[in-house]
Amino acid sequence: MKNEKTEIKYFSIPQWKEEETYLREQHKNGWKFVEVNGFCVYHFQKCDPEDVVYQLDYNPDSVSQKSEYIQMFNDCGWEYLQNYVGYSYFRKAASEMNGTEEAIFCDDASRLDMMKRVFSGRMLPLLGIFFLIIIPQIMLQSRIDDPFNHGLMIFFCVMFLFYLAMFVSFAIPFWKYYRSLHKI
Amino acid sequence: MDSHIKKVYIPMTETGFYILLCLREEAHGYRIVKKTEQLTNGEIKISPGTLYGSLSKMEKDGLISFIREEEKRKIYCITDLGTQVLELEMKRIERLYKSMMEAK
Repeated sequence: MKNEKTEIKYFSIPQWKEEETYLREQHKNGWKFVEVNGFCVYHFQKCDPEDVVYQLDYNPDSVSQKSEYIQMFNDCGWEYLQNYVGYSYFRKAASEMNGTEEAIFCDDASRLDMMKRVFSGRMLPLLGIFFLIIIPQIMLQSRIDDPFNHGLMIFFCVMFLFYLAMFVSFAIPFWKYYRSLHKI
Repeated sequence: MDSHIKKVYIPMTETGFYILLCLREEAHGYRIVKKTEQLTNGEIKISPGTLYGSLSKMEKDGLISFIREEEKRKIYCITDLGTQVLELEMKRIERLYKSMMEAK
């Protein structure tokens, strides 16, 4: 029987919750996460099925002080796994949590801060591409009556929809957290 | 104290409050977690992501300052500005408590 497996799984930028659930489910099914590299290639190793909580943090501040950052999580019982496109991966077995489910964030303010960091680190550059390249290109290509340019226009329209879907899927949870923090 | 600090820190999150309360003595992050657990009989367990974020924000805003490093753990202490913020917050909580008792 094979002891290792790889899976290719794509998560868009605001989908770190989905990714955490995915890794936890894998571990429950007896596949321990080893690492993710390349373009969304996840490596797993066979293990005894166990409920292990996986968590992702995005914190550019931690890059310059990596050992202190990791130490703080280790002190709290979280095993550091790796860094992948700016996200730090942690895990902790549910059996070590004394009955209450733990997470690396314990209040809405810090969950919102995490979203803000992801927004400025990962989403702002994409907003730039969206407004400075995709939209101008759609307008430009639509004016030229040529099959090649029509093709390009369709390409940029698909990109437009893809980016739009990503912004919306980021904005909705962001807005929910924001509302929950600022309700009267 | 400028209005930005007031706006961000008053009222304060529970985590923020316990961090400042603990840092009236020098301490590193995990020490804050443990002390908060003791003070609240285990009811409040500060998570490392929240703690790390709060400490870096408070350091940037000058509420706490970095003292030294010991075995990869950064030791912090509250500043004068941090003490002022903490006292304001304590007064607010005292007022809340008083109102709560009077309204019974």
